[in-house]
Amino acid sequence: MGPVPRTLELFYDVLSPYSWLGFEVLCRYKNIWNISLQLRPSFIAGIMKDSGNQPPALLPRKAQYLRNDVRLLGQYVQVPMHLPKDFFSVILEKGSLSAMRFLTAVSMEHPEMLEKVSRELWMRVWSRAAEKAGMSSEQARGLLEKISTPKVKNKLKETTEAACKYGAFGLPITVAHLDNQTHMLFGSDRMELLAHLLGEKWMGPVPPAINARL
Amino acid sequence: MGPVPRTLELFYDVLSPYSWLGFEVLCRYKNIWNISLQLRPSFIAGIMKDSGNQPPALLPRKAQYLRNDVRLLGQYVQVPMHLPKDFFSVILEKGSLSAMRFLTAVSMEHPEMLEKVSRELWMRVWSRDEDITEPQSILAAAEKAGMSSEQARGLLEKISTPKVKNKLKETTEAACKYGAFGLPITVAHLDNQTHMLFGSDRMELLAHLLGEKWMGPVPPAINARL
Repeated sequence: MGPVPRTLELFYDVLSPYSWLGFEVLCRYKNIWNISLQLRPSFIAGIMKDSGNQPPALLPRKAQYLRNDVRLLGQYVQVPMHLPKDFFSVILEKGSLSAMRFLTAVSMEHPEMLEKVSRELWMRVWSRAAEKAGMSSEQARGLLEKISTPKVKNKLKETTEAACKYGAFGLPITVAHLDNQTHMLFGSDRMELLAHLLGEKWMGPVPPAINARL
Repeated sequence: MGPVPRTLELFYDVLSPYSWLGFEVLCRYKNIWNISLQLRPSFIAGIMKDSGNQPPALLPRKAQYLRNDVRLLGQYVQVPMHLPKDFFSVILEKGSLSAMRFLTAVSMEHPEMLEKVSRELWMRVWSRDEDITEPQSILAAAEKAGMSSEQARGLLEKISTPKVKNKLKETTEAACKYGAFGLPITVAHLDNQTHMLFGSDRMELLAHLLGEKWMGPVPPAINARL
């Protein structure tokens, strides 16, 4: 049957554009590399608070840099990123608590849907025009009422704490469980290094699909 | 003769391990890609001050992460990185002002030596846990790079002249004008656009912007252009 797939945990928040980039790259490689990708919806504001860090967007030069970086990477990684002008003020105000609780509920009740629903939420936040940027929608609000149970709230808290225990000060983090070691890698720009640690081949962020394992 | 090489400016400080990683990768690719690599010795503490940023090592979880990240990347990029025992003292207390002024003087008087001397300073602080703040330390690095002790001493005398101090200041300001909040930054001058890329982990993206091939951080040397 072949060697046991290595578990990779991806801790992410849809508020984080770099989380989207990392997510898409790993989703592409999950059928190429011998890995088992576990998606872990987390709350980035919780990680910031617990680590004493602050969102990069709060530093003017980082915010400026981020806009360009995310745009260029979006093109290179072929993810349809579009940042509206007032994006940072919107995300810093609205946040992602509802969305991440929603995804937590999905992970608990319909885990097979988690990838698609996560992607849809990223598309909403990062691919829409300025006036639609943000998390609240009638639909989400309705569902939110159904899922704001202690069970879901606690699960999101636990997942976020797990990320913190791995040493997270931001997102995304990819935790690779290898035979003898666990590695926590921060950012969407450690995938080539991850390939090296897994003993797998890096074929860029858009690997040819024909390499998929059957 | 072929198309004009694209200018890449690398702003770096030997206090920054990520600068070393970026530097080595670009030095390998400078004979493979159609580029003209311009090394720009800069002062990272000045960039932090000007941008309002702070060294990542000041945040405990970042410091912890950095130690591992730099070690793993050193292995992957094949750069002999070994963290100094008193990591915090090196970065936060001892600093790099004399070293970067020295490299500035080298860039002004003996630019052909700049790559080698820069490398020897990195080897001291980030490979052998040796000092780079004392005059003897800087001289030792220069001599190891192939400078005569006479040449090296001559340059060392110049590091506190207004000319050298100002040049380092100007270069650091230029990095700030490009939007730097840390180092390394690579500024790529393309036909129609200038791109500033932060970090040692944007080299694959850089290849894409240059229309060149990314062959990992240790490209085969046989691809060197003659």
